[in-house]
Amino acid sequence: MSRFIIPKHLEVPLGAVLPAPVKEQPGMITGNWRTERPVIDHEACTTCLNCFIYCPDACWHLDEKTEQMVWNADYCKGCLICINECPANCLEPVNELEFPDGVVRLEKPF
Amino acid sequence: MSQEVYEVTIWARGVFQDMEGRHASLLMANAADLGGKFVQAWDDYADLPDRVGVPLRKYVRLSDEEIEMRFVYVNNNPNLVVIMDDTIVKGMNILRGMPKGGSLIVNTRRTPDEILAFIPNKELLANIVCVDASGIAADAAIDFMGSEGGVEVASVGAGISAPLVGAASKVCDMFDVKNVVKVAANKDGVQKGFDSAQVKAL
Repeated sequence: MSRFIIPKHLEVPLGAVLPAPVKEQPGMITGNWRTERPVIDHEACTTCLNCFIYCPDACWHLDEKTEQMVWNADYCKGCLICINECPANCLEPVNELEFPDGVVRLEKPF
Repeated sequence: MSQEVYEVTIWARGVFQDMEGRHASLLMANAADLGGKFVQAWDDYADLPDRVGVPLRKYVRLSDEEIEMRFVYVNNNPNLVVIMDDTIVKGMNILRGMPKGGSLIVNTRRTPDEILAFIPNKELLANIVCVDASGIAADAAIDFMGSEGGVEVASVGAGISAPLVGAASKVCDMFDVKNVVKVAANKDGVQKGFDSAQVKAL
Protein backbone atom coordinates (compact mmCIF):
# COMPACT_ATOMS: atom_id res chain seq x y z
CA MET A 1 0.00 0.00 0.00
CA SER A 2 1.57 3.27 -1.15
CA ARG A 3 1.80 6.23 1.19
CA PHE A 4 1.05 8.57 -1.70
CA ILE A 5 -2.38 8.44 -3.08
CA ILE A 6 -2.29 9.13 -6.79
CA PRO A 7 -5.61 9.76 -8.46
CA LYS A 8 -6.48 7.14 -11.00
CA HIS A 9 -6.56 9.59 -13.91
CA LEU A 10 -2.98 10.83 -13.14
CA GLU A 11 -1.36 7.41 -13.03
CA VAL A 12 1.26 6.80 -15.69
CA PRO A 13 3.30 3.67 -16.36
CA LEU A 14 6.81 3.90 -14.92
CA GLY A 15 9.67 4.16 -17.36
CA ALA A 16 9.65 5.49 -20.88
CA VAL A 17 12.04 5.72 -23.79
CA LEU A 18 12.34 9.27 -25.03
CA PRO A 19 14.08 10.34 -28.19
CA ALA A 20 17.26 12.31 -27.47
CA PRO A 21 16.90 16.08 -27.66
CA VAL A 22 18.89 17.96 -30.28
CA LYS A 23 22.61 17.60 -29.80
CA GLU A 24 23.35 21.20 -30.73
CA GLN A 25 21.33 24.27 -29.90
CA PRO A 26 21.76 26.87 -32.66
CA GLY A 27 20.30 29.59 -30.47
CA MET A 28 23.12 29.26 -27.93
CA ILE A 29 26.27 29.39 -30.04
CA THR A 30 29.18 30.46 -27.85
CA GLY A 31 32.16 30.00 -30.16
CA ASN A 32 32.78 33.73 -30.29
CA TRP A 33 33.81 33.79 -26.61
CA ARG A 34 37.05 32.10 -27.59
CA THR A 35 40.41 33.81 -27.98
CA GLU A 36 42.50 30.64 -28.17
CA ARG A 37 41.54 27.21 -29.40
CA PRO A 38 42.97 23.77 -28.46
CA VAL A 39 44.73 22.12 -31.38
CA ILE A 40 45.13 18.35 -31.15
CA ASP A 41 48.10 16.29 -32.27
CA HIS A 42 46.45 13.04 -33.33
CA GLU A 43 49.77 11.17 -33.32
CA ALA A 44 50.31 11.82 -29.61
CA CYS A 45 46.66 11.41 -28.59
CA THR A 46 45.94 8.19 -26.70
CA THR A 47 42.11 8.68 -26.82
CA CYS A 48 41.96 8.48 -23.04
CA LEU A 49 38.80 10.65 -23.29
CA ASN A 50 39.91 13.00 -20.51
CA CYS A 51 39.06 16.00 -22.72
CA PHE A 52 35.61 14.54 -23.35
CA ILE A 53 35.04 14.02 -19.63
CA TYR A 54 36.29 17.39 -18.43
CA CYS A 55 34.94 19.66 -21.21
CA PRO A 56 32.14 21.72 -19.60
CA ASP A 57 30.42 22.19 -22.95
CA ALA A 58 30.84 18.66 -24.38
CA CYS A 59 32.86 20.00 -27.28
CA TRP A 60 35.06 16.90 -27.61
CA HIS A 61 33.77 13.55 -28.80
CA LEU A 62 35.31 10.37 -30.15
CA ASP A 63 34.66 9.61 -33.77
CA GLU A 64 34.39 5.82 -33.65
CA LYS A 65 35.13 5.31 -37.34
CA THR A 66 38.47 7.12 -37.39
CA GLU A 67 39.13 6.65 -33.64
CA GLN A 68 40.12 10.29 -33.35
CA MET A 69 38.88 13.02 -31.06
CA VAL A 70 36.69 15.61 -32.81
CA TRP A 71 36.46 19.21 -31.60
CA ASN A 72 33.35 21.38 -31.94
CA ALA A 73 34.23 24.92 -33.02
CA ASP A 74 30.75 26.38 -32.62
CA TYR A 75 30.43 25.83 -28.87
CA CYS A 76 34.00 25.73 -27.52
CA LYS A 77 34.40 28.80 -25.27
CA GLY A 78 38.18 28.49 -25.15
CA CYS A 79 38.43 27.70 -21.43
CA LEU A 80 41.36 25.33 -22.28
CA ILE A 81 40.48 22.94 -19.43
CA CYS A 82 41.14 20.07 -21.87
CA ILE A 83 44.75 21.21 -22.22
CA ASN A 84 45.11 21.24 -18.46
CA GLU A 85 43.68 17.75 -18.14
CA CYS A 86 45.38 16.07 -21.12
CA PRO A 87 47.84 13.45 -19.74
CA ALA A 88 49.50 12.94 -23.14
CA ASN A 89 50.15 16.69 -23.68
CA CYS A 90 48.84 16.41 -27.22
CA LEU A 91 46.80 19.65 -27.06
CA GLU A 92 48.17 23.15 -27.40
CA PRO A 93 46.52 26.58 -27.42
CA VAL A 94 46.74 28.57 -30.65
CA ASN A 95 45.38 32.07 -31.20
CA GLU A 96 42.07 32.12 -33.00
CA LEU A 97 43.16 34.50 -35.76
CA GLU A 98 45.65 31.92 -37.04
CA PHE A 99 42.71 30.02 -38.53
CA PRO A 100 40.45 31.25 -41.33
CA ASP A 101 37.75 28.73 -40.32
CA GLY A 102 35.52 28.65 -37.28
CA VAL A 103 33.98 32.06 -37.99
CA VAL A 104 30.77 32.37 -36.03
CA ARG A 105 29.83 36.01 -36.68
CA LEU A 106 26.70 36.60 -34.66
CA GLU A 107 24.54 39.69 -34.81
CA LYS A 108 24.18 39.93 -31.02
CA PRO A 109 26.69 38.86 -28.35
CA PHE A 110 24.36 36.25 -26.86
CA MET B 1 16.72 60.88 -35.59
CA SER B 2 17.85 63.79 -37.69
CA GLN B 3 20.46 65.00 -35.25
CA GLU B 4 24.12 64.65 -36.22
CA VAL B 5 25.67 62.62 -33.41
CA TYR B 6 29.05 60.90 -33.62
CA GLU B 7 28.52 57.39 -32.25
CA VAL B 8 31.23 55.09 -30.93
CA THR B 9 30.82 51.40 -30.08
CA ILE B 10 33.55 49.67 -28.09
CA TRP B 11 33.75 45.86 -28.10
CA ALA B 12 35.58 44.26 -25.16
CA ARG B 13 35.89 40.76 -23.76
CA GLY B 14 33.80 40.01 -20.68
CA VAL B 15 35.21 40.29 -17.15
CA PHE B 16 38.91 40.64 -17.95
CA GLN B 17 38.40 43.62 -20.27
CA ASP B 18 35.16 44.93 -18.82
CA MET B 19 36.78 47.69 -16.80
CA GLU B 20 39.17 48.68 -19.59
CA GLY B 21 36.28 48.85 -22.03
CA ARG B 22 34.38 51.18 -19.76
CA HIS B 23 37.51 53.25 -19.21
CA ALA B 24 37.94 53.61 -22.98
CA SER B 25 34.41 54.99 -23.25
CA LEU B 26 35.01 57.31 -20.28
CA LEU B 27 38.31 58.54 -21.72
CA MET B 28 36.71 59.44 -25.05
CA ALA B 29 33.83 61.19 -23.33
CA ASN B 30 36.06 63.07 -20.89
CA ALA B 31 38.51 64.12 -23.61
CA ALA B 32 35.71 65.33 -25.87
CA ASP B 33 34.15 67.11 -22.90
CA LEU B 34 37.38 69.05 -22.37
CA GLY B 35 37.19 70.01 -26.05
CA GLY B 36 33.75 71.50 -25.54
CA LYS B 37 31.56 68.70 -26.95
CA PHE B 38 28.36 67.27 -25.54
CA VAL B 39 28.97 63.68 -24.49
CA GLN B 40 27.29 60.50 -23.28
CA ALA B 41 29.10 57.30 -22.21
CA TRP B 42 27.53 54.12 -20.88
CA ASP B 43 27.61 50.30 -20.88
CA ASP B 44 25.24 48.11 -22.83
CA TYR B 45 22.69 46.87 -20.32
CA ALA B 46 21.74 43.79 -22.36
CA ASP B 47 25.31 42.44 -22.15
CA LEU B 48 25.26 42.26 -18.36
CA PRO B 49 26.02 40.20 -16.35
CA ASP B 50 29.20 39.57 -18.29
CA ARG B 51 30.83 36.16 -18.42
CA VAL B 52 34.53 35.49 -19.08
CA GLY B 53 35.28 36.12 -22.74
CA VAL B 54 31.82 37.27 -23.82
CA PRO B 55 31.89 40.16 -26.31
CA LEU B 56 30.60 43.25 -24.50
CA ARG B 57 29.61 46.64 -25.88
CA LYS B 58 30.34 50.06 -24.43
CA TYR B 59 28.94 53.14 -26.05
CA VAL B 60 29.91 56.81 -26.47
CA ARG B 61 28.04 59.63 -28.14
CA LEU B 62 29.78 62.89 -29.04
CA SER B 63 28.12 65.93 -30.54
CA ASP B 64 28.61 69.64 -31.12
CA GLU B 65 25.08 70.38 -29.92
CA GLU B 66 23.10 68.95 -27.05
CA ILE B 67 22.31 65.26 -27.56
CA GLU B 68 18.59 64.64 -27.65
CA MET B 69 18.75 60.83 -27.91
CA ARG B 70 18.42 60.45 -24.17
CA PHE B 71 16.31 57.33 -24.02
CA VAL B 72 17.98 55.31 -26.79
CA TYR B 73 20.36 52.95 -25.06
CA VAL B 74 22.19 51.48 -28.06
CA ASN B 75 24.24 53.01 -30.84
CA ASN B 76 22.56 51.65 -33.93
CA ASN B 77 24.80 53.47 -36.42
CA PRO B 78 28.32 53.68 -34.99
CA ASN B 79 30.76 55.92 -36.88
CA LEU B 80 33.72 54.51 -34.95
CA VAL B 81 34.13 50.95 -33.71
CA VAL B 82 36.87 50.03 -31.23
CA ILE B 83 37.86 46.35 -30.84
CA MET B 84 39.74 45.70 -27.60
CA ASP B 85 40.57 42.10 -28.50
CA ASP B 86 41.33 41.23 -32.14
CA THR B 87 39.63 37.81 -32.07
CA ILE B 88 36.23 39.53 -31.72
CA VAL B 89 36.34 40.26 -35.48
CA LYS B 90 35.76 36.54 -36.08
CA GLY B 91 32.81 36.21 -33.76
CA MET B 92 30.69 39.29 -34.30
CA ASN B 93 29.35 41.39 -37.15
CA ILE B 94 31.15 44.38 -35.68
CA LEU B 95 30.31 46.85 -38.46
CA ARG B 96 26.55 46.32 -38.23
CA GLY B 97 24.69 49.55 -38.88
CA MET B 98 27.81 51.55 -39.68
CA PRO B 99 27.24 54.32 -42.24
CA LYS B 100 29.70 54.42 -45.13
CA GLY B 101 32.99 56.06 -44.21
CA GLY B 102 33.37 54.75 -40.66
CA SER B 103 36.56 53.93 -38.79
CA LEU B 104 37.78 50.81 -37.02
CA ILE B 105 40.38 50.68 -34.22
CA VAL B 106 41.77 47.23 -33.38
CA ASN B 107 44.01 46.22 -30.51
CA THR B 108 46.27 43.73 -32.27
CA ARG B 109 49.83 42.74 -32.97
CA ARG B 110 48.87 41.99 -36.58
CA THR B 111 48.82 44.22 -39.63
CA PRO B 112 45.64 45.93 -40.90
CA ASP B 113 45.48 43.56 -43.91
CA GLU B 114 45.40 40.49 -41.68
CA ILE B 115 42.46 41.95 -39.75
CA LEU B 116 40.62 43.05 -42.91
CA ALA B 117 40.67 39.45 -44.17
CA PHE B 118 38.15 38.61 -41.43
CA ILE B 119 35.78 41.52 -42.15
CA PRO B 120 33.31 40.76 -44.96
CA ASN B 121 31.64 44.19 -45.07
CA LYS B 122 34.86 46.23 -45.13
CA GLU B 123 33.59 48.53 -47.91
CA LEU B 124 31.90 50.52 -45.11
CA LEU B 125 35.26 51.54 -43.68
CA ALA B 126 37.16 54.70 -44.54
CA ASN B 127 40.19 53.69 -42.50
CA ILE B 128 41.42 51.03 -40.11
CA VAL B 129 43.86 51.60 -37.27
CA CYS B 130 45.88 48.80 -35.68
CA VAL B 131 47.69 49.41 -32.41
CA ASP B 132 49.36 46.93 -30.07
CA ALA B 133 47.72 48.33 -26.95
CA SER B 134 48.26 45.14 -24.95
CA GLY B 135 51.95 45.33 -25.73
CA ILE B 136 52.17 49.01 -24.78
CA ALA B 137 50.24 48.63 -21.54
CA ALA B 138 52.03 45.28 -20.92
CA ASP B 139 48.98 43.78 -19.18
CA ALA B 140 49.72 46.05 -16.22
CA ALA B 141 46.14 46.90 -15.46
CA ILE B 142 44.29 43.58 -15.79
CA ASP B 143 42.22 43.26 -12.68
CA PHE B 144 38.65 42.42 -11.94
CA MET B 145 37.88 45.56 -9.97
CA GLY B 146 35.24 47.76 -11.40
CA SER B 147 33.06 45.01 -12.77
CA GLU B 148 29.37 45.84 -12.63
CA GLY B 149 29.18 49.55 -12.06
CA GLY B 150 32.18 50.44 -9.93
CA VAL B 151 34.14 53.33 -11.39
CA GLU B 152 37.54 54.26 -10.05
CA VAL B 153 37.91 57.84 -11.22
CA ALA B 154 41.50 58.30 -10.04
CA SER B 155 42.95 55.73 -12.44
CA VAL B 156 40.70 55.84 -15.48
CA GLY B 157 42.81 54.79 -18.43
CA ALA B 158 45.65 52.97 -16.69
CA GLY B 159 45.67 49.91 -18.95
CA ILE B 160 45.02 49.11 -22.61
CA SER B 161 42.30 51.74 -22.93
CA ALA B 162 44.88 54.55 -22.93
CA PRO B 163 46.84 53.50 -26.08
CA LEU B 164 43.60 52.56 -27.84
CA VAL B 165 41.96 55.94 -27.29
CA GLY B 166 45.24 57.62 -28.21
CA ALA B 167 45.20 55.73 -31.50
CA ALA B 168 41.52 56.53 -32.01
CA SER B 169 42.23 60.25 -31.79
CA LYS B 170 44.30 59.84 -34.95
CA VAL B 171 41.23 59.21 -37.11
CA CYS B 172 38.48 60.78 -34.98
CA ASP B 173 38.31 64.57 -34.99
CA MET B 174 35.84 64.80 -32.11
CA PHE B 175 38.55 64.59 -29.43
CA ASP B 176 42.17 65.67 -29.41
CA VAL B 177 45.08 63.57 -28.24
CA LYS B 178 46.21 66.40 -25.94
CA ASN B 179 42.92 66.20 -24.08
CA VAL B 180 43.17 62.40 -23.88
CA VAL B 181 46.61 62.76 -22.28
CA LYS B 182 45.09 65.16 -19.74
CA VAL B 183 42.32 62.78 -18.61
CA ALA B 184 44.16 59.42 -18.80
CA ALA B 185 46.13 57.94 -15.90
CA ASN B 186 48.69 56.33 -18.24
CA LYS B 187 49.75 59.49 -20.10
CA ASP B 188 52.80 57.85 -21.62
CA GLY B 189 50.64 55.04 -22.98
CA VAL B 190 48.31 57.46 -24.76
CA GLN B 191 51.22 59.10 -26.56
CA LYS B 192 52.81 55.73 -27.43
CA GLY B 193 49.50 54.49 -28.82
CA PHE B 194 49.11 57.66 -30.89
CA ASP B 195 52.66 57.36 -32.26
CA SER B 196 52.74 53.61 -32.95
CA ALA B 197 49.28 53.24 -34.53
CA GLN B 198 49.30 51.91 -38.09
CA VAL B 199 46.62 53.74 -40.08
CA LYS B 200 45.46 52.28 -43.37
CA ALA B 201 43.07 54.32 -45.50
CA LEU B 202 40.70 52.27 -47.64
